[in-house]
Amino acid sequence: MSLRDQAHPNPHRLEHVNGTTPQMVGRYPDYDVLTQVDHWDALTRRVVLDRVERVPPIRFFTPDEAQTLKAFCDIATAQDEEPRIPILSYIDEKLEGGVGDGWQYDDLPVDGEVWRMVARALDEEAGGRYADASEDVRVEIVHRFSKAELQGGVWGELNVERAWGVVMRYVVQAFYSHPWAWNEIGFGGPAYPRGYSAFGSPHLGEREPWEGEESVHYDPVRDAKTWRLD
Amino acid sequence: MSALPVDNDSAILLHPHKRGLQNLDRMAQYRDDDVVDLAVVGAGAGGSVIAQRLARRGWKVVVLEKGPFWDPDRDWVSDEKGAGQAGLYWTDNRIISGDDPIELGKNNSGVGVGGSMTHFAGYVPRLHPSDFEVHSRDGVAVDWPISYEELKPSFERVERELPVAGEFWPWGDPHGYPHKPHPVAGAALVAWEGARKQGIEMHVGPVSITNGRFGNRPHCTYRGFCLEGCKVNAKASPLITHIPDAIEHGCEVRPNSFVTRVEIDDATGRAAGVRYIRDGAERRQLASAVAVCGYAIETPRLLLNSVCRRHPNGLGNAADLVGRYVMVQGAPQVAGRFPELLRMYKAPPPEITSEQFYETDERRGFARGFSIQTISPLPIGWAEHVLAEGHWGLSLREYMRDYNHWTVLGILAEFLPLPDNRVTLADEKDAFGVPVARFSYSQCDNDRAIVGYAKNMLEQIWDAAGAMDLLTIDRYAHLVGGARMGFSPDDSVVDSSHRVWGIDNLFVVDGSVMPTQGSANPALTIMALADRWARLV
Repeated sequence: MSLRDQAHPNPHRLEHVNGTTPQMVGRYPDYDVLTQVDHWDALTRRVVLDRVERVPPIRFFTPDEAQTLKAFCDIATAQDEEPRIPILSYIDEKLEGGVGDGWQYDDLPVDGEVWRMVARALDEEAGGRYADASEDVRVEIVHRFSKAELQGGVWGELNVERAWGVVMRYVVQAFYSHPWAWNEIGFGGPAYPRGYSAFGSPHLGEREPWEGEESVHYDPVRDAKTWRLD
Repeated sequence: MSALPVDNDSAILLHPHKRGLQNLDRMAQYRDDDVVDLAVVGAGAGGSVIAQRLARRGWKVVVLEKGPFWDPDRDWVSDEKGAGQAGLYWTDNRIISGDDPIELGKNNSGVGVGGSMTHFAGYVPRLHPSDFEVHSRDGVAVDWPISYEELKPSFERVERELPVAGEFWPWGDPHGYPHKPHPVAGAALVAWEGARKQGIEMHVGPVSITNGRFGNRPHCTYRGFCLEGCKVNAKASPLITHIPDAIEHGCEVRPNSFVTRVEIDDATGRAAGVRYIRDGAERRQLASAVAVCGYAIETPRLLLNSVCRRHPNGLGNAADLVGRYVMVQGAPQVAGRFPELLRMYKAPPPEITSEQFYETDERRGFARGFSIQTISPLPIGWAEHVLAEGHWGLSLREYMRDYNHWTVLGILAEFLPLPDNRVTLADEKDAFGVPVARFSYSQCDNDRAIVGYAKNMLEQIWDAAGAMDLLTIDRYAHLVGGARMGFSPDDSVVDSSHRVWGIDNLFVVDGSVMPTQGSANPALTIMALADRWARLV
């Protein structure tokens, strides 16, 4: 199984025109949330722009761990070409900062250690370096990780189902906090101090003048259902 | 502008354009060896209300709060991830266990002046009269030692102070609200139509979000970032609804002060004050009375950590009840997909509610019930929905690109209080060397039956509304219990006036005293209990 062969070949490759999305895939080809930064409060603007302009260096993970985990993050979020959101950099920054999300399962170590164990387990499963395995193998391992079907070795020391939940929580937080991802999905982004005036009532489907217009060629729900990876 | 309360000037003590408090420079400062009239642990929904009430009566009050004194202009961002980076959630470690471990942090735990209400959605329904007597009526759980009628004046007072916006409320004890209902966004209108077709009655509100100017608090701007801290000062939290008035009347709110134990005078058996850590140094605030207002995890943790010669198992724990009967509400969400662009990120996440299924109906096969509410997750929250159904990679990306077509309904199911759903002390310690809380949770059959029934009902609403696809996530919301109020030292930690059994001047005034929880979001009830306590003491 490979991302390219088994799944829809990037369904909405509409050549994103204004701004950037990950892999230039998106539903709103003319929408660039970053054109709105002048409408955001200064504090929020700094926080969001830093994600684009100041990618933090890897400090928490070793170079080997980082290579494995970067490959994992790319498969988990289907980032198969540039431009990529460097999600592992933000995950590393959060773990290095030492502030977790406020809980730890009693059958898992602290989050940073879960990540390191997952890196070791992925390499072990690939029979070498996970990052060097073929795309088929990398996808297959993530597929079985998501189903908690991996066992033995380092996996045996983890509650695999919960470990998947922990690492994917970090992954989606890093990915969907990035303004490139907001361009892809048509999210309005920070809305202070401006707020919103057109929220679909009584005119369903209305938008603010600056929000993007959607562009799709077919029903995306039916499409997703026909090739869903699970 | 609706009428301002006569006995709480918080809304006019705020600045019309700056969000931070304006009277900090004239806040009282007490010395550690001043014996203040009341030391309050925690500046959340309970602690802030009692501080404001008693400061108004001339008491010398010090509130010790573990987190910072927020200034929304300076500290909070209009961003989902940034809210966590700003430190809005309780992120110190806690261990979770049991058959159904409960995720904490942003979901249900706050820190800093204002407590969890700084990042709650804003729903403020009342409990129903039946909630105070579920054992007598339904044969489950326990009755409260107080009645709805005893708490009703407090509900009304707090609703005027927040203030609450909503339609006339036909459920429980029918009542109106001081602010008119907010407009309803398209995403919620779609859900409302589905509910109507299913014969389910829904109403707008009740939310503690200004609909019109209220003192110097502006109208809501419908930006959708309620859970990230309101930068507008439109959504209520004690930081803006009670703390400004408390400070004006001589209360000191001492931030970054982590209370590690309540000290008991060995000779008299009375509380002498609290030990706390500030700026790395251990200090001691003397007080004539102590009120613990740390919520369902930290209140039991503090009582258990305060062992002394007279109380070798912790304060109020002679009957091994501290930390027991902690409750969460079952809060699964079902999302529906529609052809139109709904953009659910606009407007406040809380919009319309049904309490039609709140009470016991024996035909359903379980005791008690649930409420239905709209919710509007931002992208990270939405990604957690998509992940919960097993999607990752291209499938995750595609469902996420479809974000603007989705809208979400959730339920709050009344889970019953169980003795083994409890907070204990873990082996792990925090940065101050204090044992952290271990929180174990497992559902009972009645809990599972409510959730199964309610999820099915949400699916039917979406089907009736014409949804093309559904996504379901199982989750939990809120925390109450852990230091329950009761009739005797054998069945509870505190009496009906919140006094810890056996310690005359130690009180617990927060959500941890609640014996049951109904299907209502707990913030209003906690504030009402605090209002009532302040009148009794």
